[in-house]
Amino acid sequence: MTLEVDHSPRVETPLLQFVEVAKTFADGTRALAGVTFAVPRAQFCVLLGPSGSGKSTLLRCVNGLVEPDRGTVRFDGLRLERRSLPSIRRRVAMVHQHFNLVERLPVGTNILTGALARVPAWRAYLHWFPRELRDKACALALRVGLEPHHLRRRVSELSGGQQQRVGIARAFLCDPDLLLADEPVASLDPATARDILELLREAARERATTVLCSLHQPELAHRFADRVLGLRSGRIVFDGPPERLDEAALARIYGDGLAAARLELAA
Amino acid sequence: MTAVHPARSAPGTVRLDPPYDWRAALLVLVAGFLLLLSGQRVQLDRFVALSGEAILAQLGFVEGSQVGRGLGRMVQSLFPVAVEERREVTRIADLDRDKLPAFARIERIETTRFELDRTTMALVPIVESKEYLVEPFGYLFRVFGKMVETIEIALWATILSVLLSAPIAVLAAANYTPHRALYYAARGLVSFLRAIPELVSALFLVLAFGFGPIAGILALGLHAAGFLGKFYAEDIEAADKKPQEALRALGASKLRVLRSAVLPQVAPAYVAYTLYILDRNVRMATVVGLVGAGGIGQELKGRYDLFEYDHVGTILVVIFATVFLLDQISARLRARLL
Repeated sequence: MTLEVDHSPRVETPLLQFVEVAKTFADGTRALAGVTFAVPRAQFCVLLGPSGSGKSTLLRCVNGLVEPDRGTVRFDGLRLERRSLPSIRRRVAMVHQHFNLVERLPVGTNILTGALARVPAWRAYLHWFPRELRDKACALALRVGLEPHHLRRRVSELSGGQQQRVGIARAFLCDPDLLLADEPVASLDPATARDILELLREAARERATTVLCSLHQPELAHRFADRVLGLRSGRIVFDGPPERLDEAALARIYGDGLAAARLELAA
Repeated sequence: MTAVHPARSAPGTVRLDPPYDWRAALLVLVAGFLLLLSGQRVQLDRFVALSGEAILAQLGFVEGSQVGRGLGRMVQSLFPVAVEERREVTRIADLDRDKLPAFARIERIETTRFELDRTTMALVPIVESKEYLVEPFGYLFRVFGKMVETIEIALWATILSVLLSAPIAVLAAANYTPHRALYYAARGLVSFLRAIPELVSALFLVLAFGFGPIAGILALGLHAAGFLGKFYAEDIEAADKKPQEALRALGASKLRVLRSAVLPQVAPAYVAYTLYILDRNVRMATVVGLVGAGGIGQELKGRYDLFEYDHVGTILVVIFATVFLLDQISARLRARLL
């Protein structure tokens, strides 16, 4: 017998909420100048903006890699602070631009490190992960398009695209509620970039995972996003579905860089 | 219009200066002068004169040289090296003549001694015979045994230093230390351990623990812990930050990040340092033996003090062979592990 739990009030609260979040770094760079938005569950939300517009800082505010100076971040209604950070980090996974894998460890172990915070200490230190977790890692590796013989190879022997597949498998290992993707395809060639984003979107859809993904190419945002947040100089200057991403919107996001952006869109 | 330097800013006239100027030349001159002064203080002029004399003597221009005679005497007394062990039978407590050790034989040597007969005032020959137990490879085996003990001392010293330095290294790494005060304490400790030479700490440890290997293991292990602690810590600090950030973002604790994101990246360097320490400990274990801290050094000191230079020669040859062999083994081990 399963217990009926009333989820309705929780479903209504957005998974992620930013209220007037601002961050100025020690060197005086203002990365975020008061950002307010909310991301509902199961949305593929793309942060679009030129380099230096604050996309990375915004993402890193979600899992505490950057601490905002001002404003509040709420995850699933829970206010992000030092005390709540460990429990939030377990539910938020991240995919990085430079993959951030442990290069000298094999692919399989790299995927399993996604569960490092969830296994007992002795298992974590010996890398002795339980059977179910290892089976799940294998299944995920196949799901993200890796071959069985890749599992025992060192990550450093893989191509960039394959390394990002490992990064995605690591992120999905513990079924996160929210996946942060910080320029996941910026260091990949255009064809691989599309494959990887396709994979990211499909894998998230299968699990109803919410995705907050930063990109700098409007073409990719147009193709993959459910919703686009345009960021410029630390402010949100566009918020809407990708279809509304017209020239005026791009001009607001990119300013002088519009010509380059339009070229990319046409390509 | 602002005034500009035409030579620098006009396009097409950018110039690259030569890599050295008069300041560099002056620096070289001053350094050379200081080295000359220092060279005189440490008797380098005498060294040049003596070795020049030795070379001239070798070429036949002069008759003999101080250095040549010294080296010649040394080589003559070291070689041939002692291989057999010869003991007086009367000094061996329970010798079973029917059951001698393998390859051993008993030799009887007669010596004639002359004694003055007090009544006739004539010299009378007295024949004395002594029996010796001769083991043809006895001394070589003895030295091998001592060498094995030396290697054991070095091995345990290395284990001790790794066990000591691993936790110290975590405290002494700026990005993993739990507290600033612990960081300075750990840094101070590794500097302190490294500052005391093994030979000096062995002298004191022999007073505390008596003659034998314990003092050697402690002296070598503590010094090496200072060395390894510093190098382990610096590698932790320099390790690639990206995977560490990724695992931190997944909620892993500091120690788990250290284990999974740092250790695999620094492991090859750690293996290299540790093998170097093992190699160094084998060499230094022979030296600390000189002050009584066990191993082959103790044997070497004993023979040297008894002027038994042929035995010293055997010891030196065995030490050289061991160091050479260990070098080969560690090179293979490194190649396989890296």
